[in-house]
Amino acid sequence: MRRRALYFALRQAPALLFVAVAAILSILSPKFFSLSNALNLVVQSAPIAVVAVGMTFVLLTAGVDLSVGAIMFAGGALAAKLLLAGHSVALALLVMVGCGVFMGVINGFLIVRARLAPFIVTLAMLFVWRGFALWVTETRAMNLPDWFIQFGTARLVGVPVPVVVFASVFFLAHMALTRTPFGRQLYAIGNNVENARKAGLPLNWLLFAVYAISGLCAAIGGILALTQLGSVSPKFGENYEFKAIAAAVLGGTSLFGGRGAVWPGTLLGVLLIQMLESGLVMLNADPYLYPIVTAAVILFAVLLDTSRQAILEQRSRRRIYHDAERT
Amino acid sequence: MTQLLRRVLLSDYFVLGLSLLYVAAVAPFTPGFVSAENFTNILSALLPLLVVALGQTIVLITGGIDLSVTAVIGLSSIVGAMAMNHETGWLAQSPIAAPAGVMIMLLVGASVGALNGIAVAIARMPAFMVTLASMMGFSGLAVWLTHAKTINALPSGFTMLGGHTMITLAIVLVVGICVHVFLRRSLWGRWLYAVGHNSRASHISGVPVGGITFFAYVASGLLAAMASVLYTGQTETGSPVLGQNILLDVIGATVIGGTSLFGGKGKVVWTLFGVLFLKLVDNSLNLLNLSIFAITIAKGAVILLAAYLDSLRNRFVAA
Amino acid sequence: MNAALQFEGIDKSFGNVPVLRDVSFTVGAGRTLGLVGENGAGKSTLMNILGGNLRSDAGKMVLEDRPYEPAHPKDASRAGVAFIHQELNLFTNLSIAENLFVTGLPRTAGFLINRHSLHQRAAKLLEQVGLDLRPETKVENLSLGERQLVEIARALSFDARLIIFDEPTTSLSVRETEVLFSLMARLHDRGISMIYISHILEHVRRRCDDIVILRDGQVVGEGEAIEFSTARLVSLMVGREMNQLYPTRKKAAASTPALEVERVNEPGIVRDISFTLHHGEVLGIAGLMGAGRSELARILFGLDRYSSGEIRANGKPLIRSGPRQRIKHGMAFLTEDRRHEGLCLDASIADNLMLVALRDYTRSPLRLVQSGRCRQSIDRLREEVLLSPRAHDKQPAKTLSGGNQQKVVLAKWLLARPSVLILDEPTRGVDVGAKFELYRIILELADAGTAVLVISSEIEELTGICDRILVMSQGKVHAELNRDKFDRERLLAAALPREART
Repeated sequence: MRRRALYFALRQAPALLFVAVAAILSILSPKFFSLSNALNLVVQSAPIAVVAVGMTFVLLTAGVDLSVGAIMFAGGALAAKLLLAGHSVALALLVMVGCGVFMGVINGFLIVRARLAPFIVTLAMLFVWRGFALWVTETRAMNLPDWFIQFGTARLVGVPVPVVVFASVFFLAHMALTRTPFGRQLYAIGNNVENARKAGLPLNWLLFAVYAISGLCAAIGGILALTQLGSVSPKFGENYEFKAIAAAVLGGTSLFGGRGAVWPGTLLGVLLIQMLESGLVMLNADPYLYPIVTAAVILFAVLLDTSRQAILEQRSRRRIYHDAERT
Repeated sequence: MTQLLRRVLLSDYFVLGLSLLYVAAVAPFTPGFVSAENFTNILSALLPLLVVALGQTIVLITGGIDLSVTAVIGLSSIVGAMAMNHETGWLAQSPIAAPAGVMIMLLVGASVGALNGIAVAIARMPAFMVTLASMMGFSGLAVWLTHAKTINALPSGFTMLGGHTMITLAIVLVVGICVHVFLRRSLWGRWLYAVGHNSRASHISGVPVGGITFFAYVASGLLAAMASVLYTGQTETGSPVLGQNILLDVIGATVIGGTSLFGGKGKVVWTLFGVLFLKLVDNSLNLLNLSIFAITIAKGAVILLAAYLDSLRNRFVAA
Repeated sequence: MNAALQFEGIDKSFGNVPVLRDVSFTVGAGRTLGLVGENGAGKSTLMNILGGNLRSDAGKMVLEDRPYEPAHPKDASRAGVAFIHQELNLFTNLSIAENLFVTGLPRTAGFLINRHSLHQRAAKLLEQVGLDLRPETKVENLSLGERQLVEIARALSFDARLIIFDEPTTSLSVRETEVLFSLMARLHDRGISMIYISHILEHVRRRCDDIVILRDGQVVGEGEAIEFSTARLVSLMVGREMNQLYPTRKKAAASTPALEVERVNEPGIVRDISFTLHHGEVLGIAGLMGAGRSELARILFGLDRYSSGEIRANGKPLIRSGPRQRIKHGMAFLTEDRRHEGLCLDASIADNLMLVALRDYTRSPLRLVQSGRCRQSIDRLREEVLLSPRAHDKQPAKTLSGGNQQKVVLAKWLLARPSVLILDEPTRGVDVGAKFELYRIILELADAGTAVLVISSEIEELTGICDRILVMSQGKVHAELNRDKFDRERLLAAALPREART
């Protein structure tokens, strides 16, 4: 019985950690446990959440995309330039989304056609797009018009727009991964690339699609971040790649491919990270302590995940005989 | 013909040749590139980076990765400066301030490395996540210590180590030779490669896999701290954000040199040439008065090119 | 005879080395053809050409009277040619049904998978291969035998008319092998043509209608299975008369104990294991897959824990776990999984050979490796195990054939001069010629006083080289037989699990 409870706890580790952190913060700060705060949390985490969804797709194929932050910056810089030049919002957003997909496709091209390691390709593209964006912005912060920021606070049938975007991205990604041939084939690739090739899966096409999706998600995340920040600074999008990876892995997605999910995994990971940060703000903690606490929690979550896997592996070890047979 | 191409591509000196070619190609357009003064500049930029990259090489050989090196550089820089500055330091004006300060800095690096090592080797956590978290945590700690302020007024005996190119060269030379001999000739060095190739087979063959892995991270932390001594000396300032932007340079240079991200492959000379190549490109772009964005883009292109050449090399081996 | 597949004059070289020379033979429609030959005889190259992984230099293939030129594995499966490999090609994180239709998942009107139709179609296929499992079961929860049946179901899902079985029984238990064979018989009755590749010649003779023997890339014999005795197959494969597969012992075992095991228990794994292994003795452990033999070996070598009991090597109790202490006490362990636990595949032959004993080749205080001494030992070892002289010391181990790889693993342990040698399936995936050489080395070691514990699924092999055999079943030693009492029937009977015995 106690063993079974332990296994349950281990299997649900991300969810339990989430509940535990939420409970602690609620006790420490009475303001924390409220609907408005919960909604706030979701709104604030929306940019990173969308980027993390794209990252989950990439991680499932045993790849990685380090260029997401730079894609956000490059797309954002172009969009800001267009907006400030008086072009319509629609055009700016379209350009930003187009940029994201285009940059993702370039990643895909280099990985699939030139057969380079994803780590290296996306690392290099991180430099390239950051350099490009610095050129576009002339290394200055670009302030967006006020009315643009209002998108972030606008509501659609009573629900803030970022939450609508957040929810739709998660719903679509979840359906794509669990219910479409495309999604299931991604899991297959992550499980064993060689087998996928032999089975005749459209490997190149799938990988292209994955990096394009990651670029697309980075662009959408970038738009959400812009509506919150109201400006494109040279630091825009920095470290998003690490935060997105951390969120996905916290939610149980493996860095080695084939294991993980956006729902509930990545969602929990994203909310956990955001909850920590806003919790610390509410507690009036020294802002310099945030990264330390966040790092500690990430480390703890990874430790939990590792020991969970070790214990589950131990348990699934084949038994030679069963106790009942011992007569 | 293909035989010749093969030999060129697979040679240890491939990246060195590439660097020389680059110098020859760029020199005519870049005033002041080929000059004693500029080469000294390149050298002083290259030396500390090489030390960090050597640590990274050791970790990559075991099949791991260490993203926390930049945090180590910042943290040990600020802790060292807190310890030995003339004004508020614990060792202020003490005659042993410089040597004790260096020891403290190395100790900081080794401790961070040890924590990474425990998490990876004993708790068996994935290296990428562990060192990512420790990068965030320890650079946060470094900033928190002085609330983002820098510290000046360091003892001259200390700043000399990184500020005087010839002394730096001597130090790095000794470190490089030690790491080289360690990797090529020593028992633990050979075991590092075995662990990188196949840790299960190594374990069964009696190799202390946990100890070796732990050691690799400690060595990486230690070498990063050593680089921090040099960088801090160069700038004569203890700063918590020192080295913040060099992580991708470190990994890029190591991989350009030919060290594999999948373990089992790596050499000191490879990393030396990788760092050299990267710094040559960096320096020449600076001389051309290109803006920061062009330099950043060029760096990306160089990493891609190197990766492409590496994949060509691998295909040649396979063929 | 109608032909399902004809090979006509297939040539293939790698660089300047010819691997296949003018290979021609025919697989009759609806017949099962056994393809045998040593490792390196060209079987896998030929199958790679058939599967679209490689192109032949000359010659052609005719599949059901139509020219067949696969450029990609996809072309092969489209043409109805399916492969069942020894390393299975399933995606363990997907369900059985998803695996069966991974390239053509049925859809509803939109993008979504039609799960109802998927599971229905999968259930139909599972029924055909006689697998009583729900289609939504994840493959990672299946046993190896069940996975193999899933793989066959996948072949049937795209109407394979020619199925190639490449060493399918290597990791199967006796019962699973029987299930596979009866399925093959049913496929045979349905008129499906098959090529069966195996080192276990008894199986080939039993299961096949025709046999083709390859040696050095050429067909050296073909005909109906009934024309061949096992001995004749062996001599055709090896190219010389092999009147004696097992070398003879020159010395008897001593009576001094080398390894003493007393009442070793680990719940769920092994129970009450006690035996004594003497110096100069070759002790076999027989049993079915999953009887706990490899698990026992891992416990003895300190890789897995045990809850009670005592293990002594050369009289000294082994208390701490971990292989390092075992090696210090003179033990050595050749594991069953050569690729993952035996070799560093990308490392050089020399580095692999030195891995275990490297510690003894260093000079204090800096512990620098003495490369001169290493080179001498490597040369001596290579001679001792007759490693292929074509292989260069600096060459990666993965470039060697299975037999030579196994020699490297054995040699690296020999360098540590072990007094107790544990061998888990030492000849798995090794061809007949190399097998003989391995037996010779093992018996010479025993003659020199080494205590050898051999685990093997091939009973012939155990009765050929052992002085004594223990039979394990369900984690327990059920019988012990001395050399004069060796008897195939009794060994098999003792190996069967209890519920199977009547």
